[in-house]
Amino acid sequence: MRNRRVRGAVGWLAAIALVLAACGDDDAEPQGEADPDAEAEPSGSVRFLIAENFWADWSPYASTAQSQRRLERQIYDFLVDFPSGDPAQPEPMLATDWRQVDDLTWEFDLREGVQFHDGSPLTAEDVEASIELGSGFSGESAYSLTWIPADVEVVDEVTVRISTEQPFAPMLVELGQIPILSADFIAEPQDRPNGTGPFRLVDDQVEVKAMEANTDYWRDPPRIQELVWEFIGDPSTRMSALLDGSAQAIDRVPPEQLPALEDQEGVELVSATGIESVNLWVRPGRLPLWDENINFRRAVNWSIDRQPLVDSLVLGNSLAATSYLPTNTLFSASQEPAYTFDPEMAAQELEAAGEPGGGPEFELWVAEGFLPRGPEVVQAIVAQMEEVGLRPQVVTSDVAGMIDDIFSDTGTGAMYHLSWSSNGDPNAAAQVYSEQFAWYFGDEELQALIDEGMTTLDPGAREQVYAELQQHIWEQAWHVPLYNSDFTIAHTSDLSGVVVQPDFRTDFYTAELTE
Amino acid sequence: MIVRLALRLAQMLFVILAVVTIAFFVLRIAAGDPARLVNPPGTPEEIITQTRRRLGTDQPLLGQYVTFLGNLVRGDLGTTFRGSLPVRDAVLAALPNTLALAGLAVLAAAGIALLLGALAAWRPNGSLDRTVLGYAALAQATPAFWLGLVLVMFFSLQLRWFPAIDMTGPRSFVLPVVTLAVTLSPILVRTVRQSFIETQGEDFFRAARARGLGEVRLFTVHALKMASLPVITLIGLQLGFLLAGAVVVEAIFNWPGIGKLILDALGSRDFPMIQGGVLVAAIAFVVLNFVVDLLYRLLDPRVRVGAS
Repeated sequence: MRNRRVRGAVGWLAAIALVLAACGDDDAEPQGEADPDAEAEPSGSVRFLIAENFWADWSPYASTAQSQRRLERQIYDFLVDFPSGDPAQPEPMLATDWRQVDDLTWEFDLREGVQFHDGSPLTAEDVEASIELGSGFSGESAYSLTWIPADVEVVDEVTVRISTEQPFAPMLVELGQIPILSADFIAEPQDRPNGTGPFRLVDDQVEVKAMEANTDYWRDPPRIQELVWEFIGDPSTRMSALLDGSAQAIDRVPPEQLPALEDQEGVELVSATGIESVNLWVRPGRLPLWDENINFRRAVNWSIDRQPLVDSLVLGNSLAATSYLPTNTLFSASQEPAYTFDPEMAAQELEAAGEPGGGPEFELWVAEGFLPRGPEVVQAIVAQMEEVGLRPQVVTSDVAGMIDDIFSDTGTGAMYHLSWSSNGDPNAAAQVYSEQFAWYFGDEELQALIDEGMTTLDPGAREQVYAELQQHIWEQAWHVPLYNSDFTIAHTSDLSGVVVQPDFRTDFYTAELTE
Repeated sequence: MIVRLALRLAQMLFVILAVVTIAFFVLRIAAGDPARLVNPPGTPEEIITQTRRRLGTDQPLLGQYVTFLGNLVRGDLGTTFRGSLPVRDAVLAALPNTLALAGLAVLAAAGIALLLGALAAWRPNGSLDRTVLGYAALAQATPAFWLGLVLVMFFSLQLRWFPAIDMTGPRSFVLPVVTLAVTLSPILVRTVRQSFIETQGEDFFRAARARGLGEVRLFTVHALKMASLPVITLIGLQLGFLLAGAVVVEAIFNWPGIGKLILDALGSRDFPMIQGGVLVAAIAFVVLNFVVDLLYRLLDPRVRVGAS
């Protein structure tokens, strides 16, 4: 699941954004503006080795593969952006100003003088085509899962109006996820992407994406001339390349390599706690006792000591989960009881469930080469489960095999060690538990809260909705929250200005190489 | 002769067809739906269906196979699921890199085998022999991925003699070639040693020694030719092992060859790329086997006589 992240709008205070929306400043310059004193031509080459395959292609909005979304951020721009990483600060990007006309309508003033990589100017029609397709209005977008139907209207050459069928609280956050493409490209997609972003793609190979600086960028051009993203799946190879000087940056540094790299001269680490829920996800219908018996679910939750998993296996900036909304998500709040490894509580719950012997056997799936130390984490969990009498059977697979088992009618797994990454807004984090997804247990109260959270505009009222939602799902214990994972990249000391966000975004616009 | 050649050619084509057919069906029967991998879990089924249509995996299996064979005959290997790029370009670009790596590794392994085998056979059961056999046992027990990493740590990161990854020039060949050659060499060393020992018992060898020829000349002129025959046979037999080893070595050293291409494509169930890689590997395998057979005939007149 991690490889097909949900949207990721960076920014989480959609509600606060509503307030800020009304005061967008025409003269406001976006953050991340290059230093005016530094007018030097772009120079140098940066090779960035990523851990995730380039799953997707350039079909517009056809995939939410994380590697593709991260790559597209170098090539495309968005109406609004969150460059500081502060979820309370949406910044102008291709929109210079915006206002909420009423509960259902927003207007955006577009930046003038912006050019696509092919030299054509950005128009309101481009924005219209992008938002309509990206938001799922046409029903063809993989981004539509966290949107509600929206219509886009061109008001004039530099103004667009977006109308939604219902109030849509995370509007700005979600707009920060939809790249603006040219209407021509959307009508007739080409092999080569045509964006307005700081880098343009010049060489497109299966595992290597080479970009060069867009010297006609509407902001100052980037400071590095060549940016190469390359997939190398083996973490040891990535580390060797960094230490050898063959690469300037690598991502997804695995826990076991952190100590070595921390002590390494000439290497710097940048870490964040990812907006990612790593859970044991339970597939409805596969383990009837789980579906029907809340005490059994709670017994499983009482059988796992999360903190030692974080301290000894996952490491880095990972945090033990205290809510179904990741810690860095807006309105996330720690829930009670704080589940830990408690054999007595587990035994009590099993007794209440009518299964003092531990209940039936069930398959617990884990993928190799996926989540850091996934198999080790699951082995530790299984040992604790067995101690309280539960009967998990570990099945180890690759990612593709596990995804297949989840969705296949003949799948046999009950629990899956997987992650779900969102964008900082509680809507995207909560949607995974909704009826749109395979993890929904028919909990209508939960569905109502998810819907209410998406359509409640008042920040205070919205916070209350998500407080109720978190409490409800924690009590129901539909799944088994484990931790919010660490996201660490390493780069050479001569590279600076790389922006890393908890949603795994890694931007090189402000990056530069020094002597 | 022409009939024999035609039969051999037909045999080679059959092997290639069998390999790509098995790869085709195993990939599709094995777990893993590519359309699921490029979409988030929970994506509406209509979008998954659209993706399958775009990838061509919505067609009946037999229909997909017929299309695949039809395209293959036209030399069209299709486009990758990832990025929609031409598979043929990718595999043809990668093939020379794997052949160069494997070819040099074979040469190096053969060199190691002939040298160590001769030294060991010079005084069987002597200290040198036991040392060589010890090397063979150690090399056989050493996994390629471990050896590759150790070589990188020492020669790349500590001494800075060779690059850690990538194919960037002559120096970049050293570590991957050594890794592959060392893992290939044990069986060759043992065979060459045995062959040298047996050759010393042959009449022609004893006669040569009785004529007073020096040991060096005896081994390098008279015994070498005999001992090299099983090396060539073994290399032919070990081609499969060599290609499999190249997958691991290419992954460790980020070598832009067929092995890495297949490995990367497997994780995302990029069927066209895997099939293209397997096809090229199969062709390389049967052609090289053919070349080995020809070499053997050239080197051993008895085979030619037997055949005629």
